[in-house]
Amino acid sequence: MSQLFGILVRRIGISVVVLIGVSMLIFAIARIIPGDPARIALGPNATAEQIAKLRGEMHLDENIVIQYGFFIKDLVSGDLGTSLYTNRPVTLDIAQFLPATLELVFLAGIIMVGLGLPLGILAARFRNKWPDHLVRALALLTVSAPSFVWAVILMLLFAYYLPLFPIAGRLSDIYDIERVTGFLTVDTLIAGNFAAFFDVWHHLILPAVALALSGIGQAARLTRANMVETYEKPYIEMAQAYGFFPHRIARLYAFKPSLIPSLTIIGLDFAAMLGNAFLVEAVFAWPGLSRYGVNVILRKDLNAIMGTVLIIALTFLIVNIIVDLFIAVLNPRIRHSTRVQS
Amino acid sequence: MKLKYLLGSVVAASASFASAAFAETVLRLDEVAVGELDPAKASDYADSILMFNVYDTLVLPNQGGPGHSGHLAESWTSDGATFTFNLRDGVNFQSGNSMSAKDVVYSLERSQALGSGLSYLFAGVGAEAIDDSTVQFTLGAPNAAFVASMVRLPIVDMAYVEANKSDEWGESLLSGTSAGTGAYAVASHNPQEVTVMTKWDDYFLGVADAAPDTVRLRYGLEAATVRTLIAQGEHDIASQWLPPEVIKALSDNGAQLLTETGTGAFYFKMNTTKAPLDDVNCRRALASAFDYATAIQMIAITDSVSAGSPSTGAIPVGMFGANSADMVQAQDMDAAKAQMAACSYDFADYDIEVSWIAEVPLEERFALLMQSNFAQLGIKSYIKKLPWALFAEQVSSPENTPHISQLFVNAVTGDPDTLLYGMYHSSNPGTWQSPEYLSDAQVDSFLEAGRAAGSEAGRQEAYAGLNARLMDLAATIYGFDRQSVFAASNRVKVPAMTDPSKAFGLDGLGFSFRLMEMTE
Repeated sequence: MSQLFGILVRRIGISVVVLIGVSMLIFAIARIIPGDPARIALGPNATAEQIAKLRGEMHLDENIVIQYGFFIKDLVSGDLGTSLYTNRPVTLDIAQFLPATLELVFLAGIIMVGLGLPLGILAARFRNKWPDHLVRALALLTVSAPSFVWAVILMLLFAYYLPLFPIAGRLSDIYDIERVTGFLTVDTLIAGNFAAFFDVWHHLILPAVALALSGIGQAARLTRANMVETYEKPYIEMAQAYGFFPHRIARLYAFKPSLIPSLTIIGLDFAAMLGNAFLVEAVFAWPGLSRYGVNVILRKDLNAIMGTVLIIALTFLIVNIIVDLFIAVLNPRIRHSTRVQS
Repeated sequence: MKLKYLLGSVVAASASFASAAFAETVLRLDEVAVGELDPAKASDYADSILMFNVYDTLVLPNQGGPGHSGHLAESWTSDGATFTFNLRDGVNFQSGNSMSAKDVVYSLERSQALGSGLSYLFAGVGAEAIDDSTVQFTLGAPNAAFVASMVRLPIVDMAYVEANKSDEWGESLLSGTSAGTGAYAVASHNPQEVTVMTKWDDYFLGVADAAPDTVRLRYGLEAATVRTLIAQGEHDIASQWLPPEVIKALSDNGAQLLTETGTGAFYFKMNTTKAPLDDVNCRRALASAFDYATAIQMIAITDSVSAGSPSTGAIPVGMFGANSADMVQAQDMDAAKAQMAACSYDFADYDIEVSWIAEVPLEERFALLMQSNFAQLGIKSYIKKLPWALFAEQVSSPENTPHISQLFVNAVTGDPDTLLYGMYHSSNPGTWQSPEYLSDAQVDSFLEAGRAAGSEAGRQEAYAGLNARLMDLAATIYGFDRQSVFAASNRVKVPAMTDPSKAFGLDGLGFSFRLMEMTE
């Protein structure tokens, strides 16, 4: 337990350093993008006086180091400033848009793991037989098309030609649910409205599957490759020689070591979905943070860019810490090496 | 048992909501994100739709013709630099507070203090509440376009804002709630997702039963999504920003096409400070070589509906000073060759830079058309894609401004002054509207005369003179007069966008929901 705690502390320490680095990098890059943010924010009809006033309010005429100082000072007090895109506090925007994306990404992640790993195991278990060929073909198909292509295909197939799922949004117009947490799967339950709860899930499925598809293929291919490699290890041969049932060998001896590299990639994929969700959110009119992030970058909304990137970076780091802990639990050598180092 | 209870509750809830949905009419439309609810910050199309439905203004443009009529104001008088408005009695805000002259003054001061949106229209304007129902505006100089600019001053409920605000001018409050006298009240607002508005039955003009009970204005829908939604009967009016081929496909599938016309045009602006375009004959040669007919074909949506109509000159048809609709411009290569011969520069020494705005892909097609037209005269040109932000910065200096810039420009109040003064008066060089850097005493004089004229005849004369002078200077190639086209389901009737005698001639005002009729 203390070894895991040590890993956790080390990872958190590294994450803080990474976050500071990301904030500096993005702060600088956001200011290098061509275009005056004040001019863009105020629109084409703004006068020179209006632009100068807003530049002053945003400290844009100051040295970049001083600007960063103002940013950190506000950040420490929990103030990310006002978005020039929505004219609202960035914290309010993030609080409104983040739950929608997290809900989508969590379900997509669950689908990715829930389908990708078993398919990979199945393919490895029946290596060079028809289930293997089928899984590999499907995996190749899902990996080769980006999420937004799947989004459009799924929408056309299952919302237009076969109207089984809704086309857009998170909830049907007929429901008016008070937003408590922002997670509609939770808020509908809090409201005690089961019809709305099912409606939320109904809306979630297509975009989540679209987002998960390429990850499923990747997870399946990786798991298969790792398991095939593991099957060639001497201890598996020994288990086979002892006459253990194939499913027991797969479950107890092949799967666990094969899972470690897969977990690392799945962790990265899971976090990367936060960024990749943009086009899926656009196709399904999903009011999420990824779409917000792209829009604020296009409008050079400096405060919102910083807020969005920091939140996505933070989520990425949290997911990777969790993955690292999982791997440490699965692989005693990692725990051991950490103890030796410390 | 539990499952049975669960299913029962689902069915019961669905049934109750279904019956509720049956009882009310819902209009669903979309626009580009984000929707800005604060009326003092409203500037783009989505903002205008919100503003015109949630708030009211002292005047409104006349439907189907020029001029303005009182709305919150009953009447007004003016001596040119002072405008006195008599307000309508018995108008209440959605809060229940009654509207008075103090609210008008507060709305103006709030707009000026925030300095956002279209507040520049009111720079230097003072306001005073003479009594509860009389408000007087004082201008620094006579301005005949001032009444038109009143359509961009939505009146805010001062008492409500003062009682509920958390910052000096209630910015946080009004970015999420409504404080107007409008026919629709905001039920919920998410600037990136949807604004839900409900009919306010106590509206001072009343609202017809057929007008939608609820309006859902969605933001940022993709073209493919809108197409699918309309095809499935889950959407009513698409935004004008759909690609023409998608609008055509929707029309082919039975959607009606709504149009809004009359306040703007598409321009190719030539930098008059940069050789060889600092020579008027060189500019005239390019203007004559442009293929206006093909440009119109490029924006055609169906055989009868297009995203623009042929240009007749420097002022869009329907405005003061415009030429008649049959005086369309046409390509004239013989004239172009003669003008080229009169040009003091040899075009062979120059490579003309034709820019297009990266966010408007249609402009690339026009850049290619222009390149092809110029090539027929042996003129070399190259095409440059510029993001809007970069373009807006580059045009602030004449050296960095491209030879030719493509722009859509609209009169934000519907008056030619707000279209032309910013583009051509020599006091406004180097803005996004004026990359021509035109400096001409006659143009200035006509613009000032149009602003100061005390009568419509005087304005007509001034702008007609301006039109002729601008055509002679050829600082701009006038591509086409713009028309916004919207694909819509047949569940809704929008007279202001289908019947020219009901059209307002102001962007966004056609979307007055109180004047629409739901048929289902």
